[in-house]
Amino acid sequence: MDDSDERKFQKELNGGLVGLVLLAVLAESDEDLYGYEIAKRLASANDGTSIFKEGTIYPVLRALSAGNLLTSRIVPSYSGPPRRYYRITEQGRGVLAEWKLIWQGTRNFVDRFTEQKIQE
Amino acid sequence: MNRSAPRSIDQYLRQLREELAGADSALIQDALYDAEEYLRAEVAAHPDKSESDVLELIASTYGAPDEVASAYRDTEVKVKAAMATPRKESKSPLGRFFGVFLDPRAYTSLFFMLLALATGIIYFVLAVTGLSLSAGLSVLIIGVPFFLMFMAVCRVVSLAEGRLIEAMTGVRMPRRPVYQGKALGFWARIGEMLKDPRTWTTIAYFILMLPIGILYFVIAVTGLSVSLSLIALPIAGVLAQAGWFGMGGVEVFSTAQPEWAFHTGFGIPLLGLAGVLLLTALMHLARGIGRLHAMFAKSMLVARTASNPAEAAEPKAALAAH
Repeated sequence: MDDSDERKFQKELNGGLVGLVLLAVLAESDEDLYGYEIAKRLASANDGTSIFKEGTIYPVLRALSAGNLLTSRIVPSYSGPPRRYYRITEQGRGVLAEWKLIWQGTRNFVDRFTEQKIQE
Repeated sequence: MNRSAPRSIDQYLRQLREELAGADSALIQDALYDAEEYLRAEVAAHPDKSESDVLELIASTYGAPDEVASAYRDTEVKVKAAMATPRKESKSPLGRFFGVFLDPRAYTSLFFMLLALATGIIYFVLAVTGLSLSAGLSVLIIGVPFFLMFMAVCRVVSLAEGRLIEAMTGVRMPRRPVYQGKALGFWARIGEMLKDPRTWTTIAYFILMLPIGILYFVIAVTGLSVSLSLIALPIAGVLAQAGWFGMGGVEVFSTAQPEWAFHTGFGIPLLGLAGVLLLTALMHLARGIGRLHAMFAKSMLVARTASNPAEAAEPKAALAAH
């Protein structure tokens, strides 16, 4: 398997996971976060390299916001265009709890097959 | 796609815009805005490195322009599919004709037509006052700041109008303002604004919204009042017949005049039916006007997708300005 195949598989896996991770990050955080800050938190949690391309989280943030799972406000910035800070809504927390259960179920199911050989 | 990796923020944004060519112009504006926020924050976070050194690593963190472009396209498609309320499209022509009453877009478009008079007046006053005061004050020192303030207000109002149109008609409009990131000088920035055709089409849109708003309002009010009163006619007839109401002693529907019943006995239900047909036609018209108006607003308020040729020809000059 060459590098591009690996990346393609990773990208397919990421499809729904980006939304789950973003909701989880925002649910954990006490303060509102903006896109760049979230991207850096994800990267620092994984030794500096994010599993997602950081450019892919922005459209997902906007999609979550459009679905009322996040609220946002705009704050001017010195370094560039005004930043949009996001905060999770109550509805977002509810959805996060459901998605967590789905993710745990999926992970357990996948582990049952991929981990079996190692135990044997 | 094989091309040289971007070496500056402007180059990156230009490549991203090329990758998104053909996509919705509002989506392009949002994608460029997000990328600019990230890239400028990244450059600001590494004051020890030059812009080109930071950009070298961008492909592995933020993603190369083509990766980011495909992320926006994919997300947009998914969100559109998830947000769209599935409508049961009736096959029969009659079902399709009356199906408009189940379409929320028809109601919101009709409401937009009524609202257009109010917003039209506000936009017209804003544009005419702003333009004439800018011209009049241009000989004084406060002319320039006034003009800049006017431009800033125009941009905010144009974004707000876009959000209103998206809410009313469902047509994708920008969710972020246009950000002029280039660190140009004060006068160069004003020159850019004056050269930008979008500045003038936005002001033209504001001025045109008054006559257009009046037209929409008249269509909506006339259509609603005529069709609703026609529909009310048979109902009023029945109620008057039952003696539930009269009009200050005037006998509206009198059984004492048999020729009246003869002439209008069939006429009244027919008029009621005509009212229903007219109301349905109005709903169709409102939905159509909503779509047309959204297309018109998009062409006037949202930047063209083609990149600025002057900017493409002189990337070095833009770089040097930083």
